[in-house]
Amino acid sequence: MKIGYLGRRIASALITIALIALINFLLFRAMPGSPERVILGRTPNVTAQILQQTRERWGLDKSLFPDQFVAYVGATVQGDLGFSFIARGQTVTEVLAQRIWPTVILFGLGEIVAIILGLALGAYTGWRRGGPVDYVGNGVSLVLYSTPYFLLGMAFLLVFATTFRWFPTFGMLTSGAQYPGLWERLIDFLAHLALPLATVAFGLVGQYAIVMRSSIVETLSEDYVTTARAMGLREGRILRHHALPNAMLPTVSLIAINLGYVVAGAITVEVVFNWPGLGTLAVTALTSRDYPVLQGVFLLLGISVVLANLVADLIYGALDPRVRT
Amino acid sequence: MTAASVRGTGPRGLGRALGSGTIVRRLLRKPEGLIGVVILTIFIVLAIVPQVFVGPLQTAVTASGHRLEPPSGAHLFGTDELRRDMLNQTVYGARISLVIGFLATLVTVAIGAVIGIVAGFVGGWLDAILMRITDFFLVIPTFVLALILTPIIQELVGSAATEVFGIRMTLIVIVIVIGITSWSSTARIIRSQTLSLRERAFVDRARVIGAGSGHIMRRHILPNVINLIVANAVLTFAGAVLTETTLSFVGLGDPFQPSWGQLLEAARAAGAPGLGAWWYFVPPGAGIVLVVLSFTLVGSALDDLLNPKRGGRR
Amino acid sequence: MIGRGGAGPKSSTATAATPVDARGRALPKHADPSQPLLVVDDLRTYFELDGATVHAVDGVSFKLQQGEALGIAGESGCGKTTTALSLIRVLPSNARIVSGSVRYFGIDLVPKSAEALRRYRWREISIVFQGAMNALNPVHRLRDQVAEPLMERLNMSESKARKRAGELLELVGIPKQRGSAYPHELSGGMRQRAMIAMALACDPAIVIGDEPTTALDVMIQAQILELLERLRRELGLSLILITHDLSVIAETCDRILVMYAGRVAEEGSVSEVFRHPRHPYTQKLLSAFPNITADRRTLDVIPGSPPDLREPPPGCRFAPRCPFVMPVCSEVVPPEVTFDGVRVACHLYPPGSDGAPAGMLARSSTPEADGGAPSVSTRPAEAPRA
Repeated sequence: MKIGYLGRRIASALITIALIALINFLLFRAMPGSPERVILGRTPNVTAQILQQTRERWGLDKSLFPDQFVAYVGATVQGDLGFSFIARGQTVTEVLAQRIWPTVILFGLGEIVAIILGLALGAYTGWRRGGPVDYVGNGVSLVLYSTPYFLLGMAFLLVFATTFRWFPTFGMLTSGAQYPGLWERLIDFLAHLALPLATVAFGLVGQYAIVMRSSIVETLSEDYVTTARAMGLREGRILRHHALPNAMLPTVSLIAINLGYVVAGAITVEVVFNWPGLGTLAVTALTSRDYPVLQGVFLLLGISVVLANLVADLIYGALDPRVRT
Repeated sequence: MTAASVRGTGPRGLGRALGSGTIVRRLLRKPEGLIGVVILTIFIVLAIVPQVFVGPLQTAVTASGHRLEPPSGAHLFGTDELRRDMLNQTVYGARISLVIGFLATLVTVAIGAVIGIVAGFVGGWLDAILMRITDFFLVIPTFVLALILTPIIQELVGSAATEVFGIRMTLIVIVIVIGITSWSSTARIIRSQTLSLRERAFVDRARVIGAGSGHIMRRHILPNVINLIVANAVLTFAGAVLTETTLSFVGLGDPFQPSWGQLLEAARAAGAPGLGAWWYFVPPGAGIVLVVLSFTLVGSALDDLLNPKRGGRR
Repeated sequence: MIGRGGAGPKSSTATAATPVDARGRALPKHADPSQPLLVVDDLRTYFELDGATVHAVDGVSFKLQQGEALGIAGESGCGKTTTALSLIRVLPSNARIVSGSVRYFGIDLVPKSAEALRRYRWREISIVFQGAMNALNPVHRLRDQVAEPLMERLNMSESKARKRAGELLELVGIPKQRGSAYPHELSGGMRQRAMIAMALACDPAIVIGDEPTTALDVMIQAQILELLERLRRELGLSLILITHDLSVIAETCDRILVMYAGRVAEEGSVSEVFRHPRHPYTQKLLSAFPNITADRRTLDVIPGSPPDLREPPPGCRFAPRCPFVMPVCSEVVPPEVTFDGVRVACHLYPPGSDGAPAGMLARSSTPEADGGAPSVSTRPAEAPRA
């Protein structure tokens, strides 16, 4: 029975990934210029032989469906996403690989901080609904929710880097710096990480707090909370033991659903701080119309979001006994 | 049902009947609705007649100040690196941002409503396929898709200088891309409402007298979901303004018709935060926050009033 | 008739140190065992709704003796649930008790602070909620939910509480092993039984059943009622049963309180009220009430609808729907008059019409044959007995 739930989720994730691949394939066709040029990019010294090889490799002489699509999917599965237009001779996969970790660290940590802070703030304001803490907390959440991430980043940069000079303004490490040891290197890294991380976290926190607050408010009107009150349990116990476990359920799915949307914010934060991750890569690729890299970013982020959703579904399954059966 | 018994059945259900008058009056009675409407009215007036307040849009040629001047009596919001008055730029930015947001909302809601009504009303395999696609757009990072789509469509439609209704082609493409990538949640909401309407008596009656599906959807379903569409459109507007801002910020805007996002991009490119030139990005930034906040407030207030699922009160 | 094994004679031998009730249960500190178990006097609970005040409970008085079962009947929205929830103040945030008193062995619960009142909840008065689908927390196992009040309120150790929870489940007819199930894995009847086990956990003096058999099918209803009756007999519980199903009251209760639009219409012993319903509303209810064995229907079959409690009509609230309405009815609130141990609030029975004074509470001890029969002839409904 548990297999049924899991199986359905996995199947759904696979279909989504397949659709992402299909969109990528179709976009690849819609792109201006001949497919050979698109695939080879600005690879130097393209000989007739290489051109011919490319055509065969991707089945460009054959029909669009199924031959070219099959060739595309086959190559994608093997991690072959073609060549970058800009980074000469480098494959898209190589370009992406260099940029994954900075994004994973920045965005992963940001998400964790935002989820913890957001859920705590949301739960507390929902619990104290109508009180002064609720008005202030909810107001701050709404303003943060309405603020574009990069704007928040620019404000942080202005205040904490330019004015107070507490943190460096850009990059992941001080350029050209020599470090006596690993420790100093880490400190420098953390100093660079602080502002972008705070931006990602504060950018997300409003949204999560709002979701959690409304979820708690809804849960508090449930009958089992009335039962718990009638039972004479302490307020804190009712919140922790009865309201929270149930309020978490819709929150988990909403956070998961919004991940795809939230990626937009991550991209712009990286741009503001010149953080060398997938976001700055995407924007550089956009500026130079480096489509293969853009598509690679889309595919990679798409798959990540789908997998994150799958994880969220599993968490949901663990939290809610009802979906397990 | 059980909730009613615990809360005391008496007072529930009476709430719906309360609050006479139009939706607008009820909206204005809610503090968040009133605040939102007031702020939006101010910005809409600025957007409609910017020349009345700040004269014609300044360009690098007609710029009136010095380079990166801080706020002063002559330039209340200071100037940018091209010596343009920031108050002038910000007020015109309101016009571009709101127009793009409005058009993008129209496209988004139109796509979402059509898909939602058709999926919910027709049902069966068509519903299954449409909802599969909807879920897909709900999950994937649509913004990254927009990053790819925008330049491709811009190259496909060609000349950026062409104008439609006085809006440059670049921005029209952004409108279309936002529409294509953001309709999914609207479709979901409209579909679930259509599903429950489909079972109602008046739809059966229409069917009995031989009305076609298209007719029923237009004449019977649409009028009944229009409230929901309006509430959703207001919330969509907030999202559309944010998306436009973000797309402009990564360089897909049009420098000749600068939206707030475009101004922020220019501020970043000019290194305003590093130079301490807060006046360069605070005015357009405040504009975005206020407008998005107002749309969110009005939208959720409307949602409270109009969404049947909420039962009228929280 | 319902057996009353073990349950209470009014006299009690209170010791000065720790007061105990008729069953030997320890009572809270300032409790006076010589006082009645529960006396509710002129209780008023109002709701604030969109700027209007809803008079949900508007001057309700009644008494509950130890070991007694009182049924509260009325249409949905008449304030019967709000009355019950007001006793231990488990009300929504927009509701408040405006006046009146709730005396539990002489202790008035109304002025108590939330924290002080908390101690009375479940240990003295517990509630079996309706349906029990949402009244049970969907993410916790049954046994843990039954054990929770034991651990939290009686400070039992976890292992002891779980063991006791198993026993309580057995007591209500759920095999111990089913304790590891989640609420959604059980049938409606089983969930209702689990809810009853929870309500019994702290051995309360009063158990309130809020529509405990609604939403169950007839067979299961009968089983649940049988269970409640058995527990009452075996444990000497005092019961307040809220229902819109008169047959439930007929089968289970000693006395009935009929409420209409936030007020008491009639109150008396089940046998007397069912045989001679005096209030036109009670008469309507009973005539609308089908034969017990044939069909159970709800009460909501009287033409018209209850008044808007935001602006209740002056005078008698039933006047707009009453077949015997007189000019005085829409002007003067009918006083509560006691008649043969039956309390009625109706202008058909003015105070002094039979010499009985308008008392606050009926004494349900002296039933007499047909003393002051109403001047209006009605089709008397048979008192149904299962």
